Amino acid sequence: MDSDKPQIVISRVVDAPRELVYRAFTEPDHLAAWWGPIGNSLPREEMDFDVRPGGHQRWTEVFPTQPGLRVAVHVDLTDVVDGELLDGVAHVTGQLPEGIEPHETRMRVEFYDEVDGRTRLEIRQWLPGRVVGPADQGWNEAFSKLDATLRNRLPVAVDVEV
Amino acid sequence: MSGSDQLSAVFSALADPTRRAILAELADRDATVTELTAPFTISMPAVSRHLKALERAGLISRTRSGKLRMSRIEAAPLREAAEWIERYRRFWDTSLTRLDAHLAAVQAAGRPTDGSAIPDSESPGKAHDKEN
Repeated sequence: MDSDKPQIVISRVVDAPRELVYRAFTEPDHLAAWWGPIGNSLPREEMDFDVRPGGHQRWTEVFPTQPGLRVAVHVDLTDVVDGELLDGVAHVTGQLPEGIEPHETRMRVEFYDEVDGRTRLEIRQWLPGRVVGPADQGWNEAFSKLDATLRNRLPVAVDVEV
Repeated sequence: MSGSDQLSAVFSALADPTRRAILAELADRDATVTELTAPFTISMPAVSRHLKALERAGLISRTRSGKLRMSRIEAAPLREAAEWIERYRRFWDTSLTRLDAHLAAVQAAGRPTDGSAIPDSESPGKAHDKEN
């Protein structure tokens, strides 16, 4: 599993002690206060957290300005170390925004002490489907190179100049 | 294939560095398997297998041009994969900005703004965390 490269890698320092930041991820009232896009809402009665290895975090995201949307997120936690680590697979279903299919995505969040009582988050995410096989190149690099080329070339794919 | 199966196939196909290199070549121009083999140290049958995998994922199409079988990159699935990455990047960006604000508010108040379910004894600065 560790040989699989996550497609998203984020390192971020937040200005709060590690214990508090961990709780912001693992306690319903905290998570509801910041998770997701602005304007969403996580109904408290639909939040069900059992944070431990083999446990889960479940919630629903609703959007008052878009009543058609109702996103159910069920995270099956595989690896949990109190104050240090959350790793699990999120199952995203429900009435999703247009263009988004129900999917599974593995997320891993590591919490580290920084100087001055701050906390560094190391976030890894594997996008839908398990990415198999070793990938020895960064995704970003691969995509930025392809994107740059594609922007110039496509949709005029027959264009040939070397 | 459903959309998310398709996406899995795309990510799976893209996980291989040789296949990404082949795509990068094809981003410049359509090419035959012979042309695609030249820059690599692997055999033509191996390149052929990679092309099949890319075709299955919808990342390339193959057409005959006279006697030549040309491979052509298909942008849409690649863009879709890139959009998924972008979408989740934006998601984290927004969420973490909100997290910053939330943590600041909680610490300024000395307790959570909506209070109830989060006991005061757990408030920051209480220093029962061994490492702080």
